[in-house]
Amino acid sequence: MCSLSHLGFVELTIFPTVVNLNRIKLNSKQCRIYRVRVNDLEAPFIYNDPTLEVCHHESKQRNLNYFSSAYTAAVSAVDPDAGHGELVIKVPSELWKQGDEMNVLKVYIEFSLDQPKGGLHFVVPDVEGSMAERGAHVFSFGYQNSTRFWFPCVDSYSELCTWKLEFTVDASMVAVSCGDLVETVYTHDMRKKTFHYVLPIPTAASNISLSVGPFEILVEPYMHEVTHFCLPQLLPLLKHSMSYLHEIFEFYEEILTCRYPYSCFKTVFVDEAYVQVSSYASMSIFSTNLLHSAMIIDQTPLTRQCLAQALAQQFFGCFISRMSWADEWVLKGISGYIYGLYLKKTFGVNQYRHWIKEELDKMVEYELKMGGVLLHPTFGGGKDKDNPTPHLHFSIKHPHTLSWKYYKMFQCKAHLVMRLIENRISMEFMLQVFNKLLSLASTASSQKYQSHMWSQMLVSTHSFLKSISNVSGKDIGPLIKQWVDQSAVVKFFGSFAFNRKRNVLELEIRQDYTSSGTQKYVGPIKVTVQELDGSFNHTLQIEENSLKHDIPCHSKSRRNKKKKIPLMNGEEVDMDLSAMDADSPLLWIRIDPDMSILRKVEFEQADFMWQYQLRYERDVVAQEESILALEKFPTPASRLALTDILEQDQCFYKVRQGACFCLAKIANSMMSTWTGPPAMKSLFTRMFCCKSCPNIVKTNTFISFQSYFLQKTMPVAMAQLRDIQNLCPKDVLNFILDLIKYNDNRKNKFSDNYYRAELIDALTNSLTPAISISNEVRTVDNLNGDVRLILEEITRSLNMEKLLPSYRNTITVSCLRAIRMLQKNGHIPSDPSLFKSYAEYGHFVDVRVAALEAVVDYTRGMHRTSPSEVSRTHPIPYVVHKILSMLGKNPPFTKAAESPLCNEALVDQLWKLMNSGTSHDWRLRCDAVNLYYTLFGLTRPSCLPLPELGLVLNLKEKKAVLNPTIKPEQGPDTTEMTGITMGGLITMETVSSVSMSSGVAPPPQGLKRKLDSVVGPLGSSSPEPGQVLQEEDTSKKFKIRFNTVEEDEIDMESPHDSQAFIHHHLNILERPSTPGQHPAVLSLPVTPLPSSFGKESTSSSKHSGDHHHHHHHHEHKKKKKKKHKHKHKHKHESKDKERDSHAFSNSPASGRSARSPSMSD
Amino acid sequence: MADPAVMAGGFSAIRSGCGKATSSPAENYQLARRRTLQVVVSSLLTECGFESAEKATVESLTEMIQSYISEVGRCAKAYCEHTARITPTLSDTVVTLNEMGFNVDTLPGYAKRSQRMVITAPPVTNAPVIPKALIAGQKRTHPSHIPSHFPEFPDPHTYIKTPTFREPVSDYQVVREKAASQRRDVERALTRFMAKTGETQSLFKDDVTAFPLIAERPSSIPYLSALLPSELELQTLEETDSSEQDDQTDSENTPVNNLNDDPGADKENSVLLAGSVVPLVKVSEESMIDNPYLRPVKKPKVRRKK
Repeated sequence: MCSLSHLGFVELTIFPTVVNLNRIKLNSKQCRIYRVRVNDLEAPFIYNDPTLEVCHHESKQRNLNYFSSAYTAAVSAVDPDAGHGELVIKVPSELWKQGDEMNVLKVYIEFSLDQPKGGLHFVVPDVEGSMAERGAHVFSFGYQNSTRFWFPCVDSYSELCTWKLEFTVDASMVAVSCGDLVETVYTHDMRKKTFHYVLPIPTAASNISLSVGPFEILVEPYMHEVTHFCLPQLLPLLKHSMSYLHEIFEFYEEILTCRYPYSCFKTVFVDEAYVQVSSYASMSIFSTNLLHSAMIIDQTPLTRQCLAQALAQQFFGCFISRMSWADEWVLKGISGYIYGLYLKKTFGVNQYRHWIKEELDKMVEYELKMGGVLLHPTFGGGKDKDNPTPHLHFSIKHPHTLSWKYYKMFQCKAHLVMRLIENRISMEFMLQVFNKLLSLASTASSQKYQSHMWSQMLVSTHSFLKSISNVSGKDIGPLIKQWVDQSAVVKFFGSFAFNRKRNVLELEIRQDYTSSGTQKYVGPIKVTVQELDGSFNHTLQIEENSLKHDIPCHSKSRRNKKKKIPLMNGEEVDMDLSAMDADSPLLWIRIDPDMSILRKVEFEQADFMWQYQLRYERDVVAQEESILALEKFPTPASRLALTDILEQDQCFYKVRQGACFCLAKIANSMMSTWTGPPAMKSLFTRMFCCKSCPNIVKTNTFISFQSYFLQKTMPVAMAQLRDIQNLCPKDVLNFILDLIKYNDNRKNKFSDNYYRAELIDALTNSLTPAISISNEVRTVDNLNGDVRLILEEITRSLNMEKLLPSYRNTITVSCLRAIRMLQKNGHIPSDPSLFKSYAEYGHFVDVRVAALEAVVDYTRGMHRTSPSEVSRTHPIPYVVHKILSMLGKNPPFTKAAESPLCNEALVDQLWKLMNSGTSHDWRLRCDAVNLYYTLFGLTRPSCLPLPELGLVLNLKEKKAVLNPTIKPEQGPDTTEMTGITMGGLITMETVSSVSMSSGVAPPPQGLKRKLDSVVGPLGSSSPEPGQVLQEEDTSKKFKIRFNTVEEDEIDMESPHDSQAFIHHHLNILERPSTPGQHPAVLSLPVTPLPSSFGKESTSSSKHSGDHHHHHHHHEHKKKKKKKHKHKHKHKHESKDKERDSHAFSNSPASGRSARSPSMSD
Repeated sequence: MADPAVMAGGFSAIRSGCGKATSSPAENYQLARRRTLQVVVSSLLTECGFESAEKATVESLTEMIQSYISEVGRCAKAYCEHTARITPTLSDTVVTLNEMGFNVDTLPGYAKRSQRMVITAPPVTNAPVIPKALIAGQKRTHPSHIPSHFPEFPDPHTYIKTPTFREPVSDYQVVREKAASQRRDVERALTRFMAKTGETQSLFKDDVTAFPLIAERPSSIPYLSALLPSELELQTLEETDSSEQDDQTDSENTPVNNLNDDPGADKENSVLLAGSVVPLVKVSEESMIDNPYLRPVKKPKVRRKK
C-alpha cells in the first residue's frame, strides 16, 4: 500500500452570536493537530474521537444490541448538528471579554494527515516513472458528511460558509476543487504550483471536495464553464462519454427554470472510486470505469444516467443543502425525482415506467423483508430511547449508523414519494415548488454579509411542505403522514367475481398489515377495468372494514361480434376473443395501475386475462406484471402470447427480455407436452440467423439496439431449458456453442464484448449438477463430453482475454462465474485458488468483485475456509465494502444453522472489525455490523462460551443452550479450525484468549453503568439541530501540504502466505488512526512548533513515530482557506459541558478526563 | 562484360536471398568474378609499390572498383537506350567515361605501360545459366508494320490473362464455416502457445496440462487495458467508419497542424496535452475560450514576505 500524508492549516473566522463563547467544538478525525491559535493566542484543545473504538476492549458483551446503542451514542457525541465535535478548543480567557462584545474570533489550526484511511484516497500505481507518469492521484470521498476525515471543520450540511481554498501541488498535477479557479501560481522554485479557488456561494464543509492528479483536461465544447478531467490516456474516452452532458444541463435548467447555480462545473474521473457518482459543490467525482468509447453499447445509457444523477444532485444536495438528517429525504427525493423526469424525456416513457416499477418492487421487497424504511424520523426529546424503528439492528438516528442497503432503499423511497406528491398536486406545481426553493436559495446566496439569510439555502421537511401548500393550495398531509412519517408499505391481495345477473364486477381487495414492513392503507385506489367496450377507470375507497367493491360493467358480453375494441390510449384493436369467458365482458383488471401507492399487489385473474393483458395492454408495467403472472399458467396459450410478444418489435425491449425468461420457465413446466423445437430456437433462427443456412448466425451489426438486447438475452434464457432428465437439451447446447463459434464481429462498429459475455453466461446457465459416482475426485478423464466442450470454450475465451482484453473485462467476469458454476455442480474440483489470484489487487475491479463473489460462494458451499480470510485485500474501500456486503448476502452460515466456522475467533475478529477496525469509513463499519447481524443475530453469538454466571444476560437462553454451546465449542471447532483454516484465525485466537483472561476482572455491570452514563446526558442534551449552532458568515482559510509516504504495508509478493497477510491486516486494524489516542499528543498544544513549512515536514515524520519506513516527498500540496466565521450559540454552556466532558471520560481516551475540570468553567 | 545492372542486381538478390547456401552456379560465377577483381586490385597495389595491404582495405577498393565498373556499364546502357538501341557501342562507353570525369585519351597509354602485370583469366566457371523463361504458348510474330530487327514479343502469358486458379468457393455457408474454424484454430493455437510458454493455472489437480489457463498477471494500472479499446477493435472501427468519416477527418486535421506551434500555449498546458491528439481540435477554440484551467500558470510574485 502506498499512502501519502499532507500538512495543512485551517483558519476559521467566527462571529459569535452568544456572549460567553468560550469553547468551540469542531469535527476532525484522523488528523494530527499540532497547534490551535485563537486570535494569535495559543489555545488548549482536547481531541477525543469516541467512534474510534465503540465499546471498550474488555467488554465481553458481544451482542449487537449493546454495540448499536453504544455506537449511536458515540456518533451522537460528536454530531455537528447537535453542536458537538471531536475537537474541543478552549477560547483563551484573554479573549472572553472580547467575546462579550461579540467580536470576531479567528481560529487557526495546524494539522497533518498521515496515511489517511478514510476521507482521502490515494491511488499510486506501482510502476516506473514520476508520479504524473504513473497516473498517481488522490481524491476525497466519504459517505454523507465525512469531510472531517481530511481537515478540521464543522462537518455538517447545515453549516454554510464561503470558502477560499489553496492547494500547492507538484507542477505536473492539477488540483480540482470546489468553486472558481482564480489563478494558478508557481512556487518560487517553479517545481510546484498553487491553485487558488474561491467559492463565494455559502457551502457546507461536507460538500467540499478535492482531487489532485495528472489529469487530462477537456473543456466542454458547448459550455466553456464546464471542464472535464480524466486520468492520462483516457481523453478519447472522456471526449466521447461527455459529448452528451450539455443536453442534461439544458434539460434541468429548462424544467427548473433556473440557471445552474454555480459559475462552473467540473467532472473528475478517478480510479478506485468509493461510489460511482458523488456530487460536491460545483464538482462531481465519478468512477473512471464509467468512461467508454463509441463502440460500447451497454455502458452508454448507464454512464448518461450517472451524469444525470450527479447533475440533479448539484441543484438539490449541493447548492441546496439540508437542515438536518431528518430532512435528507427531501433532497434525495427531489434529485431522484428530477432525474426520473430526465429519464422519461431521454429514454422514453416505457423506460421510465419500467424504472419506477423496478424501484418500487425493490423497495417493497426490502421493506417486507427487513421492516420499514422511515423517511422522516422524528426523535422525541424524551429521555427514553423511543426508537422509531425497533425492527432494525441499527439506529437510523444518524446517517453514519445506517446500513448501506437501507440508505439505498431510503433514496429509492424518497423519490417514489416525490412522485406520489406529484400525482397529487400535478407536475406543474411540483416544478414551481422546486423553482421557488432554488430562487430563494440563490437570492440568499448572493447576500454576502447577511448570513442569517443563508438558512434559505437549507431545506427542511417543514419548509418544503409549506411551499407545497403555498404553491398548490392542496393539503398533502395524509400522504406525508402515510409515507414519510411512517415506515412500511402496503400489501394488497385482490380477487374478483363477475356477477352476470347484475352485470357487476365484484372486486375484493384485502390487505395484510400485520406482518413486518406492512402498514394499513385507507384511502382511494384506482382500478382499471378493460371491457369489451373500452377501458374504464374506477376510484374505490379503501376503508377500514370494506373488502368488497361492486363495480358496474359498461358492456355486455357478446359472441362473435367482429368489432374493434378500444384501449385505454384510444387505440382500437382487433382481438381474437375466443379464449375469453363467453359470459363476461371483462378482458383484464388492474389494481393501482399508476403505482400511486407504495404497495405490492397480488391479484388473481384467469390465465386468458393475463394473456390479453400481455398482448394488448400498452403499459409496460402491465405487460411485465402479466409476464410474471403467466409463469403460473404453463399452457400453450401462454406460450403463444409470449412468443407473439417476443416477435413484436413494437414492444419495449425489456418486456421482451422478460418474456424470454418466462417462456423458458413455462417450457420447463410443459416439458412433457411441449411440441416443436426448443422454445425460442426457431424464433432466434428467424430473427438473427442467415436465411440460407439457418444454423449460422448473421455477422454482427447491432444496428438496432432493441434486437441487440434481445439477441443477447435469448440464448441466456434458452439455456435455462431442461429436458426430462433435467439436463439442458443437447439441441440447445449445440446451438449456443454454434453461436459462439460463428460469432463474427469484424464488420461491426460496435464491440461485441457484452454479447460474448452473455453467451458464456448462457453456457453457465446450461450447467446441471454432475452425476457423481460415489465420492470420487473429479478428474479430467471422467469429464462429461458436453462439459468438456463448455470448458474448452471457457478456457479459450478466458485465455483470449489475456491477449485481447474486452471492455471492462466482461468476458473474464463471465468466465469466472462459469468456472465457479462448474465447480459448484461438481464437474471440476472445487478450488478457490484461481479466484483468489483474480481477487488480488491489480485486476480490474469488476474482475476482483466477481472473483471475490466466487470465493464467498465457495466459503458458503464448503464450510471450509474462513470468511475473514476473504477480507484480506488491498484496502480499496469499494472492494472491501463489496466483500462485506456479498458476505452478508450470501453468508457462510446464519444464526440459525450450525457451522464449524461459527466460532469464537471469528466473532472476535468481526467484533474487532466493527468496533475499532473500521473507524475510518462509516460505510464499512455499517457493513461489518450488517454481517455480524446476519451471522450471529442481535444477541450474543451462540458459539461464545457463556459469560460468568453472575451475568444477567440471556437467562432464558442460557438454560436452553448451555450444553450445545459448550459442546461444539470444544469439540469440532478447535480441531477443525486449526486443521483447516489458514493461519489468520489462529493468530486471532491468541488475541481472543488474552482478552478472555482479562475479561474476567472487571464486573460487567460496571460496563452497563458506563453505557448509561453515556447515553443519559446525551439523550437529554441533544436539542433540536439547527438551534444550537447558528453559525453565520463563515469562511475558512486553509492550507495543507501533502507529503507522500510510501509504505510497503502489505506484501503483495507473497499473497499466498495468508497468515502473514492476515496478521498484517489485523495490524492495520489495530493501529490507531487518530493521534488522539496517544497520550503523548496531549502535550502537543504546549509544544511550540516550528512555523516554517520546511521544518514541519520533518516534524511530521518525527511524530508518525511508530511507522515510518521511508518518506518520499513526492508531492507537496498546500491548502489555504481564508476567513472562516462561525457563530456558535451555546445554549447549554456550563452545565451540559460538564456532562459532556463526563461523557468523554467514558470513551476510550479516558485519560483525558483529568483535564475536564479545567475545561468546564 | 555482362550487363552490370543485371550483375549488381543479381548479386544483391543472392546476398539477401539465400544467405549461407552458396552452391548455386550463378553464385559461383559471381564469386569468381569478385575474386578476379580482387586480384586486379592487388596487382594494381603492387604496381603502385605497396608491399602489403589489409584485407579490409582490399575489400573496400574492390567494392569501389566494382561500383565504378557497374556505373560505367549502367550509364553506357542508358546512353544506348536513349538512342533507341539495345547494345552499347564504343561511343556510348566513351561518352560515359568522359561524363564520369575520366580522360579517355590517357587510356591507351596506360594500357601499354611497361610495368603492368598480367593477370590470369578468371577460372573458367560455367557462366550462369540464364533460367529459361517460362514458355507458355506461341510467341506472336511481328505484324507487318514492325521491322524484324525489333525485339520479339514476350511470352503471351505476360500480357494475356491466364487462368491458373480454381473458382473460389463462394458458398456462404462454407465461407462462414471456414472463417469460423480458421479463427478458432488460430485462437486455440495462440492461447495454447501462450499457455505452454508462460505460467499457467489449472482447473484440475491431477492433470495440470488439461485446459491450461494463462496465469493472470496483475497490472499496476488495470483500468487502462479494461477501458481502452484494443488495437484490433480500433482497426475494425476505422475500417467500418472510414467511408463515413473520410471528409470529416480532413477538415479536422487542418487546424491541428496550425495549433502545434500556438505560441500562447504555455509549457504547463502543452505538457498536459502532450500525447493526446484529441484536444488539439479544441485548442483552436480554446484560444478564444476563457477556461481557468487553460490559462497560463503565473510566475510567483517577485517578493513575498516569508
